[in-house]
Amino acid sequence: MSSRDMNRTSSAQETLDVLHDISQLLNTQLDRETLATCVSMIESGVNPEALATVIKELRRENANLNAGKQD
Amino acid sequence: MSNALHGLVVALVPAARRDERLRSELTEDALHILNSHIGSSRQVDIGHIAGNIRSKLSAQDSLRFSNLMGRLLDQDLLTRKHAVLQFMAALSASSNQPQPIIPPLVPSISRSSPSSPHPRSRKSSIAPPPQMVNDRTTTATKSKAQLLREYRLRHGRPQVAESVLLRDTLYLLQGISGKFVKFTEGKGDGELTVTFSEEPRYVLPAPTRALILRLSELGHLYVRVSKWSLSHHLQSQLTEYYRLIAVLESQMSQSGAAEDDGRGGGPREEESGLTLRRLEVWVDEWRLRMRMMSVCVEGCQDSAGGALVSLIYGYTDNGDPFVRGFTDQLLEEVSKPFFQTLQRWLFTGELHDPYSEFFVAANEELAHLQYTHAYSNANVGVLTGDGGFAGAEDEERNDSDETRNNGLILWEGKYQFRKDMLPSFVGESFGRKIFSTGKSLNFIRYSCHDSDWVATRSKLDHTGRALKYSDLPGLARSIDSAYQIASKRLLDIFLDKFRLLDHLKALKSYLLLGQGDFADQLMEALLTSLSRPANTLYRHNLTATLEAAVRSSNARYDPPDVLRRLDARMMEYSHGEIGWDVFTLEYKVDAPIDTVIDPEGMEKYLKIFHHLWKMKRVEGALSASWNRIACGARSFLGPTIKGVRRRSSAHSDVLERLEGEWHQIRVVLSEMIHFMRQLQAFCQLEVIECSWKELMDFVTKKDGDLDGLIQAHRNYLDRMVKKILLISPKAGKEEHLLIQVRELFNNILQFRDAAETLYNYCLAEAARADSERDHDRGVFTISESDGLGASKSADNLPRILRRVKEYSGLFTERAQAIVHSLQLHQDLDCRFLSVRLNFSDFYKTRKELKAALEASKAS
Repeated sequence: MSSRDMNRTSSAQETLDVLHDISQLLNTQLDRETLATCVSMIESGVNPEALATVIKELRRENANLNAGKQD
Repeated sequence: MSNALHGLVVALVPAARRDERLRSELTEDALHILNSHIGSSRQVDIGHIAGNIRSKLSAQDSLRFSNLMGRLLDQDLLTRKHAVLQFMAALSASSNQPQPIIPPLVPSISRSSPSSPHPRSRKSSIAPPPQMVNDRTTTATKSKAQLLREYRLRHGRPQVAESVLLRDTLYLLQGISGKFVKFTEGKGDGELTVTFSEEPRYVLPAPTRALILRLSELGHLYVRVSKWSLSHHLQSQLTEYYRLIAVLESQMSQSGAAEDDGRGGGPREEESGLTLRRLEVWVDEWRLRMRMMSVCVEGCQDSAGGALVSLIYGYTDNGDPFVRGFTDQLLEEVSKPFFQTLQRWLFTGELHDPYSEFFVAANEELAHLQYTHAYSNANVGVLTGDGGFAGAEDEERNDSDETRNNGLILWEGKYQFRKDMLPSFVGESFGRKIFSTGKSLNFIRYSCHDSDWVATRSKLDHTGRALKYSDLPGLARSIDSAYQIASKRLLDIFLDKFRLLDHLKALKSYLLLGQGDFADQLMEALLTSLSRPANTLYRHNLTATLEAAVRSSNARYDPPDVLRRLDARMMEYSHGEIGWDVFTLEYKVDAPIDTVIDPEGMEKYLKIFHHLWKMKRVEGALSASWNRIACGARSFLGPTIKGVRRRSSAHSDVLERLEGEWHQIRVVLSEMIHFMRQLQAFCQLEVIECSWKELMDFVTKKDGDLDGLIQAHRNYLDRMVKKILLISPKAGKEEHLLIQVRELFNNILQFRDAAETLYNYCLAEAARADSERDHDRGVFTISESDGLGASKSADNLPRILRRVKEYSGLFTERAQAIVHSLQLHQDLDCRFLSVRLNFSDFYKTRKELKAALEASKAS
C-alpha cells in the first residue's frame, strides 16, 4: 500500500501532508496510511460520514476484542 | 474499494489479521454501513464545515487550522475536499469526547443519534451491557436537571423541549398564545392572564414556568400598548420592538438548526443560539421601556393633547436616567403635534386643531361671525356715503344693531382658554400669553382685515425656528416676543387705523359733556322743545337741533367720521313724561371698535350722560333765573339795590314788602348755584379728567394686549359711574345718594318755578303800579279786566311765598343730608366732594348750632 503511495507525485505527498496535519489537529487518531486509504476511498465516492462511522465501529470492535482478551 | 476496506479493517483491528472469519465479517459490516445512507442527503459547503471545525478549536489551533486549510485549498489533486474534511470532522467529534484513557471503556455509539444504525455485530459481539457503563459516565458529566429530564423521558412524561417553549415564548412576546403557554382573557375585567397547558403528558418544571411568566409580562404589556397606539412615537418604538423579536426569531431558528445537527453535541448548544435565559437578558431593557409605555398609555386613555403632554411631563421628574431619557424622548415626540399647533397659533393666529387637543378651543357658534363682520364693514361704507351723522334709515340701524355687539363677543368668545389642556411645562401665565397672542393675530386678521401683516409677520418669525419641547427657554422667548409684537400691533391698529382715541375723545366731549360750548348750545336749542310732553317730540326735530348745535359750536371741527356717529333720539317713553325724561344722545360705534366700547360700556356712558344732562339742565335753569332776578331787581324789584329810588313815590307797597323775600330767595339761589357748580366741577375735574388721564397713561404705554385695553377702558368707565353717580358700596343702598341728589335737582327746579311765579307776580304788580301812575297822570293804558286779574293774583301771594319758603327749606335739608352722607362715603373722592360743598363748614355749623340749641334748651 505504502509503496503504491510512494509512487505518487510529490504534490500528492504534499496534499497528504496537509491532510495529515489537519487530522492531527483534529485529533482523529488516524495514522498516515489509514488516512491515505480513507482519502482515496472518499475520492472514489464513498460517503464520508458513513466511512467515519465505519472507522468508529472498527475501533470499537478492536477495543472489544482487546477487552475480551484481557478478561 | 473492497481492497481499501480490507486494508482499513486490518489496520484498525489487528486481531483480524490472523482471524480470517472475523476479518470478512468486519469487512461485510463496514460495507453494509457504507451502503446505508447515513447523512448522504447533506450537501454542505466547505466553508461551513471549516467554520464548524474552527469553532471547536482553541484560538491557537484555529489559526493553525486556517493555515492548513489555505494550503489544502491550493492543492488541486483532491476533488472532494469538503468530503474529506467532513470525514475528519466527524471522526474528531467522536474523539473529542472526554479523552478515553482506556479506549475500550468508551461507549462510542451509545449516545449517537437514533438514526445511526446499530451494527449487527453488536448483538453478537462481546459487548458489555452498555447501559451500566453509560450511567456511570453520565452521572459524572451531567447536571441534575439533565438527569431529571432523562428520568422523565424514561417514564413517558417528557419535558417539553426548550426550543418548543422558546417558540411559544416568542409568540407570547407578541401577545399571541403559544402551544403550551396561552393568554386567556379573564372573565371579569378582560385582563390577560398566562396559563400553562395542563396536558399531563408534558411537564413544565417550575423554574421554567417562572421564567416564562416573567417573559410574558412583556407580551402582556405589548398587548395593552398596541391596543392604544398612543402616537406615532409609540408606533416607532413598537417597530423597534418588532425588530428585536425578528432578530430573536432568526436566532432561534439558527439555534434550532444547530440543535438538529448537533444533537448530543452538548457544548455547541451552550455556546450559541437562544435559550429562555438568554431571552430574558435580551428583553430586559425592553421590559422597562414597555412598562413606561404601558403606564403612559394607561394614564392617557382619557386625556389628549395638552393634558396628555402634561401627564407625560409629570414622569420626566424621575431619578432614573433611563426613565427620564425615555420620557423625554416620548414627550418630544408626543408634543410634536402640540407644538405644531402652537406654532401656527402663535405666529399666524390660526387654530388648527382637528381633534380639539389644544388648550385653546374655538367656539363653533361664533366661527361664522367674522363674515357678518365683513358685511357690517361694508355697511359702514354706505353710511359714510350719505355723509350725515344722522344715519337715519331704520333698516341700516337694525342691521348695525345686529352686528353691533359682535366685536366684544367675538373677541372674548370666539376662542376659549382651557386650563386643563394646558401642558404643565408651559405655565399658566405663559398659556395666557399664548392664548392672547393667537387671539390677537386672529382678530387682526379677520376682524381688522389686516391679514397681510399677519402673513408677513409669520414668515419673518418662522425662519429657521421650530418650537420644540427640548428648547423650553427658546420657547419662552418666542412666546414673549410674539406676544409683544402681536399685542402692540393690535393696539396700534385700534389706535391708528380705527382711531379709537378719536372715538373715546368724542364720547368724552359729547356724552360726558366735556365740550361745554356744544352742551350749552344744545341745551339752549332744546330748552323749549324738551319741556313739552314726550309724545309731541319728533326725532327729526331733535337730530336737526343736534346738527345746529354742532354747527354753532367748536364741535364742527371734529372729524366727520366722528360727527356722523353722533345721534339724538328719544328713549321709550310712557304717558306723562316730558322731553327731558326721554331725550338722549347716542354715539354709534361699529366693529371692531365695539370690542373696546362694547354695548355694556355704552349703557354706562348713557347713564352718566343722563345724570350729567340733568345736572346741566338744573344748572342752566338756575343761571337763567339768577339772570332774570338780578336784572329784574335792578329794573323794578329792589329799589334799594342802586340806592336810587326811581319814582319812589309811586312804588307799590306790595313790592316794597317783598324786598326781604327777594333777598332770601337770592341767598338760597346762590346756595343752590354753589351746590351745582361744585357738583359739576367735581364730576368734570375730579372724576372724568382723572379717569381719562389713567386711561391715557395706559394707551401711551401700550403695555399689554387688547384685553388690557378693554380692561383699562372698563376701569375708566366703572370709575366714572361709581363716582359721578355717587354709588356707595353698601349692598342695597347703592343708589341711595343718587336718588337724594335727583330729588334735590327736582327740588331746585320746583323752587325755581316758584321763584319764577313770584317774579311774574312782581312783574305784574310793577306793571299795575305803573299803570296806576299812568292813571294818575291821566294816561289810560290798562283795562279794567287787567286790574281785576292783578288783584286776583294778589290773593295768591301768600301761597306763592309759602311755596318758595317750603322749597328752600326742603333744599337746605336735603343738601345737608347729602353733605352728611358724603362725609361718611367710602370713596375718598366723594368725601372730597363733601369738603368742596361744605368748604366753609356752612352745613356743619348749622347742624351743630341746632344741636347746641337743643342742648341749651334741654339744660
